[in-house]
Amino acid sequence: MTLISNLINGISLGSVYAIIALGYTMVYGIAKMLNFAQGDVIMVGAYISYICTTSLGVPALISILISMAVCTILGIMIEGLAYRPLRKASSLAVLITAIGVSYFLQNAALIIWGSTPRAFTSVVPFKSISLFDGQLTITPESLVTIAACVVIMVFLTLFTKKGKMGKAMRAVSEDKDAALLMGINTNRTISMTFAIGSALAAIAGVLLCSAYPVLIPTTGSMPGIKAFTAAVFGGIGSIPGAMIGGILLGIIEIFGRAYISTQLSDAIVFSVLIIVLLVKPTGLLGKKITEKV
Amino acid sequence: MLKVDDINVYYGNIHALKGISLDVNEDEIVALIGANGAGKSTTLKTISGLMHSKTGSITLMNEDISHAEAHKLVSKGLAHVPEGRRIFLQMTVQENLEMGAYTQPGYVKDGIADVFNRFPRLKHRKNQIAGTLSGGEQQMLAMGRALMSKPKLLMLDEPSMGLAPILVQQIFDIIKELHEAGTTILLVEQNAEMALQIADRAYVLESGRITLSGTGKELAASEAIKKAYLGG
Repeated sequence: MTLISNLINGISLGSVYAIIALGYTMVYGIAKMLNFAQGDVIMVGAYISYICTTSLGVPALISILISMAVCTILGIMIEGLAYRPLRKASSLAVLITAIGVSYFLQNAALIIWGSTPRAFTSVVPFKSISLFDGQLTITPESLVTIAACVVIMVFLTLFTKKGKMGKAMRAVSEDKDAALLMGINTNRTISMTFAIGSALAAIAGVLLCSAYPVLIPTTGSMPGIKAFTAAVFGGIGSIPGAMIGGILLGIIEIFGRAYISTQLSDAIVFSVLIIVLLVKPTGLLGKKITEKV
Repeated sequence: MLKVDDINVYYGNIHALKGISLDVNEDEIVALIGANGAGKSTTLKTISGLMHSKTGSITLMNEDISHAEAHKLVSKGLAHVPEGRRIFLQMTVQENLEMGAYTQPGYVKDGIADVFNRFPRLKHRKNQIAGTLSGGEQQMLAMGRALMSKPKLLMLDEPSMGLAPILVQQIFDIIKELHEAGTTILLVEQNAEMALQIADRAYVLESGRITLSGTGKELAASEAIKKAYLGG
């Protein structure tokens, strides 16, 4: 029974990673950059939802929507102010800027909300499910998280496969100049991608803090890095890859913690990244692209 | 229809176009010929807004487009098939065509029917990923995709590049057809012989300057051109 329980917890934690990784992977796929501030947007999302529910008395579900809206605007602002001026700069400059944005957000949160840990109340109103005479307990948070992850992945897949905007994103991802020649406003498309990634980060933040209810300004940084690992693990740029990578990573982390060592669980997670990069640098579902001349 | 007046374009410190002026009248085929690196592609990129000139002006249908952004020019009737085709290799043939009609959402269905009519080979490969097409098919797709925006002025950059002679002939036949159907064409070619055959007028570009211009026939008969571009 503990095995099943660990598996469910792993899938649930992995689903949070997967949602964040989807944001990483979409932004990488289209803007060809790693937005390391993604993890900190999670933290902002969680704080917004926390303030809405505790100080303003807003119902949990509406607090999530507010948090998504705030993070969407934040994402568009980050892209416009920090990354857009660097569109023609080297990727190293962009990477350093992303790390800078990440620290900026953490420290801004520290000034606004202080360093006192906040006890986040779960946004999921259901009771735990008890099976097999109480031998197996499933928290409603894990079920909601897993369900949210599946819904988001299906939505994003349909959006990029069938939607006009989604197709335009794929076009921009392949060839920015050619997309411009089709009349696609590439800057607006890239902002849209950041908007989607940040809205996903808000959802991930609320779900993460519902399951692990301690909220501090650095809450997002570790999950952010792990989600990045998940995105690389699954093959960065690939939507199903981010999902599979996230879930596998969650399972590895929980199993590592349960059966190997609590202290080493993070080390195990990052070892996975190193092994994947050595054995299959493009990730599980990543494609190696050869161009015809 | 298009008037380029004394444009100067730089890549960093490199002065790529040195005071280029040319014009394209309605219903003409105008060819721009010259050796590798003469500035032919740069000229097209500057017209379509992918690059911008430091000085000089570009006018499209009486509107100054010197500083316009590339994506805004498509709906003004300008289509540019870039060098190397630049189709979306990971998207299907159908999706590539849909992207071509990005600014003409109402035209997707009719446009695709028209393109398939013109290029029957593409119809059979509708759901195939564009990267799996042959070079000739990719060129057809690139041209079809450009037609999806209902262009008034179509700029083609080296449509014959890397194609077998029989396909080159086919592509040039299609260019003639498009012209007869009322599209104005600005054609960049290294294959000067083919280009001069179909062009009403042509310009010769050498290291960023226009050194000769005239009707297609005049240039084809010129000794200097024969020596430099037509193999004696």
